[in-house]
Amino acid sequence: MVFNSLTFVAFFALVLVVHNLPLRWSVRKFNLLIASYLFYAAWNPPFVILLWVSTVVDWYAAQGLVKAKREPARHAWMLLSVIANLGMLGYFKYGQFLLDNFATLLHAVGVAYQPAPHDIVLPVGISFYTFATLAYTLDVYLRRAEPAENFLDYALFVTFFPHLVAGPIMRPTELVPQFEQPRRANADQLRFGLALMTLGLFNKVVLADGFLAPVAEKIYDAHALPGALDAWAATLAFSGQIFCDFAGYSTTAIGAAMCLGFAMPDNFRFPYAAVGFSDFWRRWHITLSAWLRDYLYIPLGGNRHGERRTMAALMTTMLLGGLWHGASWTFVVWGGLHGVYLAVERFLRRRFAGYQPGTLALVALGLLTYALVNITWVFFRAKTFGMAWTVLGGMFGANAAAKPILSTFYLLSVAVIVGGLVLAHWFMRARTLESVIARAHPAAISAVWAVLAFAIVAAQGSGAAFIYFQF
Amino acid sequence: MDMRRSEVTPEDQARYLRRGDYARVTAADRPGVAQPVPLREVPAQPWGRILLGACVLFALLLGGWEWYWRAWGATPDYYNSNAEWAQQRRRIDNGEGNATVFIGSSRVLFDLQLDVWQALDGERPIQLALQGTTPLLTMENLAADPKFTGRLLVGVAPDLFFSGFAYRGAALKYYLKETPSQRVGNWLSRTLIEPWFAFFDEDFALAKVLKRQDWPARPDAPDRLDVRKLSVSASDRNTHLWDKVVTDVQYRDLARSIWTQHLNGPPPPDMDTAEKAAKVIDRQIQRAVDATAKLRARGVQVLFVRPPDAGPYLAFDNRVFPRARTWDVLLAKTGAPGIHFEDYPELRGFDPPEWSHLKLADARQFTAALHAIIVRDFWKPDPPK
Repeated sequence: MVFNSLTFVAFFALVLVVHNLPLRWSVRKFNLLIASYLFYAAWNPPFVILLWVSTVVDWYAAQGLVKAKREPARHAWMLLSVIANLGMLGYFKYGQFLLDNFATLLHAVGVAYQPAPHDIVLPVGISFYTFATLAYTLDVYLRRAEPAENFLDYALFVTFFPHLVAGPIMRPTELVPQFEQPRRANADQLRFGLALMTLGLFNKVVLADGFLAPVAEKIYDAHALPGALDAWAATLAFSGQIFCDFAGYSTTAIGAAMCLGFAMPDNFRFPYAAVGFSDFWRRWHITLSAWLRDYLYIPLGGNRHGERRTMAALMTTMLLGGLWHGASWTFVVWGGLHGVYLAVERFLRRRFAGYQPGTLALVALGLLTYALVNITWVFFRAKTFGMAWTVLGGMFGANAAAKPILSTFYLLSVAVIVGGLVLAHWFMRARTLESVIARAHPAAISAVWAVLAFAIVAAQGSGAAFIYFQF
Repeated sequence: MDMRRSEVTPEDQARYLRRGDYARVTAADRPGVAQPVPLREVPAQPWGRILLGACVLFALLLGGWEWYWRAWGATPDYYNSNAEWAQQRRRIDNGEGNATVFIGSSRVLFDLQLDVWQALDGERPIQLALQGTTPLLTMENLAADPKFTGRLLVGVAPDLFFSGFAYRGAALKYYLKETPSQRVGNWLSRTLIEPWFAFFDEDFALAKVLKRQDWPARPDAPDRLDVRKLSVSASDRNTHLWDKVVTDVQYRDLARSIWTQHLNGPPPPDMDTAEKAAKVIDRQIQRAVDATAKLRARGVQVLFVRPPDAGPYLAFDNRVFPRARTWDVLLAKTGAPGIHFEDYPELRGFDPPEWSHLKLADARQFTAALHAIIVRDFWKPDPPK
């Protein structure tokens, strides 16, 4: 189920009541596990089996890793986990993509081959929970952590519904220890958790779905040639939409976990105030970028084996990171562009090693970063390269024949919401939400909370799925 | 690091924070190590009072919003949602495959009253018409479903039927892919929200309300008004024209002006020349021929009905989709019978307030008259068993 649905409201109320019943901790954990399976099954019940497969394979792989006496055996257990998880991901997510590309390749060498349609439904959140369970075996393999002692704790780590389908991508060491001792939110955690959920849903339902998505759709899902203003407005709208959608999901998830007495990590740190791309990736989808760094970039050699190897590791990580987002070459280009940006930044940082930007230069570099990030969003949002070139052409003045498309209201929406968002990110750049709330007047917090909640109800969201569910 | 003993110490926190511009340490700042249990503080505030204040203010805002829409003439009714359409469609899967089913566009949805039909026929039909949408999608879906063996009344609104336009095409996809969560959500909505709150209407959604304010026009940008709320629905999609369209002259004129911009607008890109338009029309007729053949092959009685419209809307239909080129060809090629309102005195003479849909009293009269014609000339009552 999606967080922005009545079903979730009823489900979560029930979970809160059951979780606070005076029951043994093991029973309450078991209740959370069952609730999490229900949460997942509410989309498509048979896909719970995939979740079980992923859970059980990695549990036994980690046990095998610990018991293995020799390195080849450890390798074998690790490979079992990697192949099982990535195999599942590959089959469900990339099967059609691989078939299509294989057919194209054969066509290129003169062999006519038409594969049968794959027709496989993508299980929601498979990219997220396979990465979470992989982290479990890889941490044990890399000797960073011991395996969990209790299967229930481990299964609940994989399945815990707040993070299950769209992250934050939890590491076992972040969550399993929290299941060791009885947890129940105190009154303030419950209230603040509800406030965070309201903020997250406001981002999703009101800003992303209500105001920004229609602007992006008007350009990216239509056939009219956009001029510079329309192309930029739609791309900026998408930059706001995807942030509000995904950061909204993460905030809701963090709030839901807090209401139950658990802590989840930040997934975003006001990324549109990033100065440079290494800064951006330490602020955007943190749990994914850290996962890719720890389990892909560093094992590929990281920055320890010379510049050429570093660049190769960097580009491989970013290209695969792009592909993780979707089975399409447009996502690969998106990742590749970020890889190029990071490589150029790395070069410039070495070339101008002692440079310390002043305030104005910092803001200018931040805005340049944001502008360049927006260019990558074109490939992320466009369904085809043709559409991406059309929009990029518009953004850089190549569509001279274009007629205005977006109305004043749409342009104003983008200016106010995305402009406000970027300003807010700069204000919050070195702050936390909690530190700002701690200094606010209680009446102001009440008023903002009420207005956000009212806006969610008045927006009448359609229960549209979060963008990252498809990844 | 042991999974059971990992936590961030204040010293770690301070050390990491010195590294950059970040106010809280995350996995981004700890490369290549097992990530510890996150810290999540609650800001020191009187959260009990804050929540109470927020609840009171929220209730006031929502109460004001509800009062505003009721004062404007809205009353609680059921959402004409994809979920509700899917629920009605599932009746065919769940043992009502031999029912009478209405498909079509908004004219069949608004102009055929289920309670009148039920009173005359003894059976309450299943209403599957979708506003702004060709019925061919649903017709093809029913044709492919062997469980459907009943009677099918297909409404023909020329500009939608013969163009293939499908504003609500997502309803069928929703039905085919509806999740258990969505079904529960629909039930909750229909039990706890829709019968009680007037503000809960697609037309009153916050972004829509703001969008239709009197913003300065952008030169040369299309500035078309969206279709406004026109109908009121009961729990099984029994729908009629909203009284406000009938009684509020300003609102009726607004509805007419929205139709006018549609009627005067450019044709869709696939129909912007006579040749392209002819191709589209032929393609829709062929779809109807194929679906009708499948339905009739398993004994389904198919009847096409052209409900009335008037004024500029009728003139537009006659000009762009002339009867001889559309309706007559449809009946000839499908071999199915049809009722065109112009051919029956009892179906003529209605005065649709906004040229396209009948007011409730007229819809009831139209339903009764149509039923009488159908029973008399087309669908004979089942013989007693």
